[in-house]
Amino acid sequence: MTIELDPQRDYPLASRRPELLKTPTGKRLDEITMEAVLAGEVAAEDLRIAPETLRLQAQIADSVGRPQLAQNFRRAAELTALPDEKVLGIYNALRPGASTKRHLTDIAEELERDYSATLCGRLVREAADVYERRGILAD
Amino acid sequence: MSTLSAAGSDPSASPRRSKRTEILENRPVNLDGFVEEWPEVGMVAMDSPYDPEPSVRVDNGVVVEMDGRTREDFDFLDQFIADHAIDASAAQRAMALSPTEIAHMLVDPKISRAEVLEVSRGLTPAKLLEVVKTMNVVEMMMALQKMRARRTPANQAHSTSARDNPVQVAADAAEAGLRGFRELETTLGVVRYAPLVAIALQVGAQAGKPGALTQCALEEATELELGMRGITGYAETISVYGTEAVFCDGDDTPWSKAFLASAYASRGIKMRFTSGTGSEVQMGNAESRSMLYLEIRCILVAKGAGVQGLQNGSISCIGVPGAVPAGIRAVLAENLVASTVDLECASGNDQSFSHSDMRRTARLLPQLMSGTDFVCSGYSGVPNYDNMFAGSNLDPEDYDDWNVIQRDLQVDGALRHVPEAEILAARNKAARALQGVFAYLELPPITDKEIEAVTYSHGSNELPFREVLDDLKAAQSVMDRGVSGLDIVKGLEAGGFPDIAEALLGVLRQRVSGDLLHTSAILTPELTTLSAINDSNDYAGPGTGYRPSGARWEEMKRLRHVVSARNPEEEVG
Repeated sequence: MTIELDPQRDYPLASRRPELLKTPTGKRLDEITMEAVLAGEVAAEDLRIAPETLRLQAQIADSVGRPQLAQNFRRAAELTALPDEKVLGIYNALRPGASTKRHLTDIAEELERDYSATLCGRLVREAADVYERRGILAD
Repeated sequence: MSTLSAAGSDPSASPRRSKRTEILENRPVNLDGFVEEWPEVGMVAMDSPYDPEPSVRVDNGVVVEMDGRTREDFDFLDQFIADHAIDASAAQRAMALSPTEIAHMLVDPKISRAEVLEVSRGLTPAKLLEVVKTMNVVEMMMALQKMRARRTPANQAHSTSARDNPVQVAADAAEAGLRGFRELETTLGVVRYAPLVAIALQVGAQAGKPGALTQCALEEATELELGMRGITGYAETISVYGTEAVFCDGDDTPWSKAFLASAYASRGIKMRFTSGTGSEVQMGNAESRSMLYLEIRCILVAKGAGVQGLQNGSISCIGVPGAVPAGIRAVLAENLVASTVDLECASGNDQSFSHSDMRRTARLLPQLMSGTDFVCSGYSGVPNYDNMFAGSNLDPEDYDDWNVIQRDLQVDGALRHVPEAEILAARNKAARALQGVFAYLELPPITDKEIEAVTYSHGSNELPFREVLDDLKAAQSVMDRGVSGLDIVKGLEAGGFPDIAEALLGVLRQRVSGDLLHTSAILTPELTTLSAINDSNDYAGPGTGYRPSGARWEEMKRLRHVVSARNPEEEVG
C-alpha cells in the first residue's frame, strides 16, 4: 500500500501522522509512555525506527528535492534488519586496506541474500570496484 | 638587550623603534601566526594556480569528465562526487552558466533558494569554487542568509571537563541548554571516561531545557555504539577529507562514510559529517590544491553520501586558513557552499584561533549576522582550560558580550541572558539528577559536596577530585552491562526527577519517527521537530525571512544590567 505524503501537511510525522508510525516491535508511539517504561514494557528495541518509517521519510525527502538523503534513508531501511555488531563489522570492512575484493563481494552477497539489502549490497560492490581500481584493497 | 646605547655608538644594536611600534608589537594579534602563501603544498586559501578548470561531460547519464579529468583518471573522491553528488541531468545546463551569473543568483534576493538549488545540483567542485571566488564577504553573507536551510538560526555548545568530571559536564550542559543552545557536544581527555561523561551530558541537557540534543565526539565506531544505545542523541564527528591520501590516512573512504551515514539513520539517529579547510595541508597531502577547492570536494562527498548536513568552517584546522591571506573569507565561503548544496551547516566558530578579541569577533560576525543552522559548532560552555576540543573562539566569559551584540544589531545568535538564580537552580538540579542516576546504576557516588561546588563553580579547578580509577572501572561496566538511554530514564525517575525522565524519554522517542533525520532538524523545548521542511528558509529580501520579533526579541532585549529609562537608579534586567 502506498501512502501519499504531503511534507507541508504531514511533517513532522510524530505529531501530524502518528497513526503511520510503529516501532519495529509493533508498538504505537503513544504506547511508549513513562508508565510502560517503569513497568518494564519498553525495551531498547522499542526505541528504534522501523524500515517502513524510513521509507516514508525517504518519500518526504524525495518530494522536497533531496534524492541523496532519500536514498540514504532507503539504505538505512535495509540496515534496520542487521544487528549492531554486523553493521559495525561491515563499516570496518569498508575502511581502506581492510578487505580483499572477495571479502567485500561476500558481504554484498550476504546483504542481498540474507537481508534483501540490495541498495547496501550495491554500495559495497561499487566500493569493491573502486578500491580495486585505486589500489586500496587488502593484499 | 640594552635600550640605553646611544644611536650610532654600536653598529650591531637594533635600530631605534618608536613607542608606537612597541605598543603594536605587544598587541595580542601579534601572538597569532601568519604565513605567506605556498600554493605548491596547498598553503593557499582559495586562489591557487594549481586548482583545476571547471568542466563536465555527460554521456548516457554518466559523468565521464569532471574538472579536467576523464573518468578513468578519477580518484575515489571524483568518482563518488560524479556518481552520487552531481545531478547529471542538470549538469550541462548549470555548468554553461558563468561563475558570476551563478554568484548573482546567490546574492539576488529575488532569486529564490529553490531556484539556486536547481543550478547548484549540477555544479562540479571547481565550478563552485569559481562561483565563490567572484564574491566578496558581504556578498557571501547576503547569499548565506538566503541559502541556509533552516529559517530559524540555532547554536551548539561544548560541554567538556579537563578532568572528565561528569558532574561538571552535567551542570554546564544544563546551563548551556538554559541559555539557548539546542545541541551540546562533549569529548574526553581520557577516552575510557566516555560512557560516564556521555550519560552526564544527556542528563544535564534535559535538566536545562528539554530537547537539547547531545553528542560525544569519539572514534567513529565507538561514537556509533554510544548512539545506538541511546546514551547520545546525535553524531557529528564523522570526518571526511578532500584528497584520497588524507581520506585513507583518516582510515575511511567516501563509501565507508556513506555506509556509516545509513547506519546512523537505520537507528533513527541524526548525524552530520565534519570537514574543513586546511585539514589536507595540515595532514601533509593537499596535492597542490587550494584549501577551499579540497573542502568543496568534502562538501560534495557529504551531499553524495546522503547525509543531511555538515559541520564545516575549518573547525580544528582553523589555524591553517587563519594564517594565510583571505583565509577567513575562504572559511565563510565553505559555509556558503555547504548551504548552497542544501546541506545543514554547523558553521564552525569553534576552535580558538586568535589571541585578539577583535579578530575573533571579526571571524564570528559573518556567520552570526547572516545566520546559519548552528552559528557555532561549538561555543565553549566551559572555561578554556576545560575545553577538550583545544578551546573555542567563544567562551563562557563571552556570554554577556554575545547577548549585547545580539541586542545591538538585532541579530539572533540563538542565546539569551538568564538570571543567575535560574542558572544556579539548573546547575544544581542537573548535578542532583546525575547523583540519582549514578546511584541507580550503581556507579561511584556523587557527593553533596560535589553538587554544592559545581553549582557555583566556573571550572573543574574548583571541584573536589573524583576517584578516577573507580570512575573508569564503572565506565567500563556501563559498556559491559549494556546500559542504555532507557536505563538513564529509569534512573532519573527513581532519583526523583520525573520531569527530566519524561524529557529524555521524549528525546529517545524521536528515534521511532525519524523526523529528526531531515535536514537541519532540531528539537524545540516542547520537543517539536523544527527542520528545513517545516521551518524552511524563506528569505526573499527586505521584510522577509527570519527576523527576531515578538517574544524572542523581547527576550533578546534583556541583559545583565539594563536600567529603567525613567529611573536610571532602577535595573529592569
